[in-house]
Amino acid sequence: MTDQTPLVRIEGVSKHFGDTVALDDLTLDIARGEFVTFLGPSGCGKSTTLRILGGFERPTTGRVILDGQDVTTQPPEKRQVNMVFQDYALFPHMTVGQNISFGLELKGMDKASIKRRSDEIMSFLELDAFGDRYPAQLSGGQRQRVALARALAPDPALLLLDEPLGALDAKLRGQVQQELKSIQRRTNKTFFFVTHDQEEALTMSDRIVVMNKGRVEQDGTPEDLYFHPASRFVAEFIGETNLLSGEMRGHDGDAVVMDWFGQTLRGHAPAGAPPEGAPITASVRLEKLGFHATRPETGNAVQGKVVGKTFLGSRMAVDLMVEEAQGATLRAFVDAETGQTVGADPIWIGWDSDSMAVLRD
Amino acid sequence: MNRGNRILLSCVYWAFVLYVFVPLILMILMGFKDSKFIGFPIKSWTLDWYTGVFADAEILSTLGYSAAIAVLATLISVAVGTWIAVLLEGRKFWGRTAIFGMTVLPALVPGIISAIAFRIYARYLGIEPGMGAIVWAHAVHNVPFVVLVVMARLSTLPKSQLEAARDLGADPIIAFLRITLPYLVPAILGASIFCLLLSFDDFVRSFFLGGYEPTLPVLIFAKLKSGMSPEINAIATVALVLTAAIGIWAERFTRRMNKDTKA
Ligand SMILES: Nc1ncnc2c1ncn2[C@@H]1O[C@H](COP(=O)(O)OP(=O)(O)OP(=O)(O)O)[C@@H](O)[C@H]1O
Ligand SMILES: [Mg+2]
Repeated sequence: MTDQTPLVRIEGVSKHFGDTVALDDLTLDIARGEFVTFLGPSGCGKSTTLRILGGFERPTTGRVILDGQDVTTQPPEKRQVNMVFQDYALFPHMTVGQNISFGLELKGMDKASIKRRSDEIMSFLELDAFGDRYPAQLSGGQRQRVALARALAPDPALLLLDEPLGALDAKLRGQVQQELKSIQRRTNKTFFFVTHDQEEALTMSDRIVVMNKGRVEQDGTPEDLYFHPASRFVAEFIGETNLLSGEMRGHDGDAVVMDWFGQTLRGHAPAGAPPEGAPITASVRLEKLGFHATRPETGNAVQGKVVGKTFLGSRMAVDLMVEEAQGATLRAFVDAETGQTVGADPIWIGWDSDSMAVLRD
Repeated sequence: MNRGNRILLSCVYWAFVLYVFVPLILMILMGFKDSKFIGFPIKSWTLDWYTGVFADAEILSTLGYSAAIAVLATLISVAVGTWIAVLLEGRKFWGRTAIFGMTVLPALVPGIISAIAFRIYARYLGIEPGMGAIVWAHAVHNVPFVVLVVMARLSTLPKSQLEAARDLGADPIIAFLRITLPYLVPAILGASIFCLLLSFDDFVRSFFLGGYEPTLPVLIFAKLKSGMSPEINAIATVALVLTAAIGIWAERFTRRMNKDTKA
């Protein structure tokens, strides 16, 4: 088998709980060594997907293929997949060392190898000093590391992490995010990480799969999702954005032309463009808008009046009124100095057609 | 709470304490009286009744007999009760409510009724009165307590614990033995002690199902019939100290274990 075959292939997987459709025909490939994040609001089916991969739930329809082998009906103990649980699920009656050795013992390793492997993983995660402690005697961050060590020890092909940072405070969280990312890089393992925190997803992942209501909304790199959202849901869920509702006019080369309150604007349509005359929504990020004294040469230029400013430290959020009568507004991030100089006079606002994405509803 | 209420409340409390403990204290005192007749005044004290109890082969063998019955009945009810609890807890299946109801029923049936029922049934099955019959009746009577205590503990075991064990390669049986069972130990110990005491203390079932050999409560009853004597007080005090000590130790022990293993 070459490295080209995906490590995991989820093929048309649906999961129903009674009348609830938790997953709706999900298809997804995960490559070896990838850090994939599953991102979505509560109840969108993230944990369900993880639990299907771990073997704790069976899909209603569809197949799960791991390393070329159909594992859809395989119980968890047979799979080369380990999970870091949201509540860590450390065994309270076992020491840190015993927790970490548990999976190794069950693999049938001999005593000496178990010792070697658990020492290795404990020093890798800087847990050496805690081997004889019980989970109740550890801090939240230490417990999190033990859970990670326990899941990594048996050398799984795929590591599943279900919101493992949810229980940590904001500061520790940021630190552990960096740690996790670097552990993933050093072990070169495939991490499948679940979160509903878009910032966390953006900082950690090679690839983000945005889920909504049991379906994939968009699948791409963090930059892709941020600057080229395919749907309104993604644009709104990740970061802050300007949503421009207008009418489809036609094509101009690669660009899509739209009408927005009498202004002709150009954007691109990653998810395909609707027919002429259809209502459409486009998204442009706040930091993509630039201020100009005269009409700029950018693909899009409109005139507007400053109606509000919010100082945010290094930058400033500026609210602009473009079309008073119909209430067409824009919001821009500019550096604090530029923000201070703009006054009551109308200014030109410009942005590239590449930075505006026409969205799927 | 105002002052008057507080005083009233503490009066009620102390009245209750007296009500509970005075009979016990009187009973213990009389066991040290140097006279054959129970009652005040106590003119002189003695330990003779106690030395008598520990020298009396019949009493000692009865004590051993009662203890053996208690241990056997406890082992059976703990095994059966734990098994039923694991079967019932957190699962939905057809007939679950019926099984649960039948399981706890023996705890609710009045002792005398269940004793008579056992007697009739034993006779019907051809089981001789004696140790086997008593153990059987005690075990059935104790199962509900084990089931309730173990189920309560089991319901606090996070589901992720077993999933984590399975995830790390344990099949359902290994997961049960290495995760569930250790988690249940405090509950099982607590239930065992409770069963031991229930069984040791039982009179009605032992009386109806016993053969020629009496258990301790049955022996005390027999001695009472032939007249009160401080000897009975001494026996009762020994039994009281024994059971109270076991009970208090078990309570503290299980509480400590519960604390240690909290996730
Ligand atoms: N065992 C179950 N029985 C019934 N419904 C379930 C069960 N597990 C999940 N669901 C439902 O399936 C849907 C998806 O649940 P899931 O746990 O996958 O969401 P999630 O994306 O992980 O959400 P969260 O961010 O809140 O953890 C929800 O509507 C949930 O109520
Ligand atoms: Mg979840």
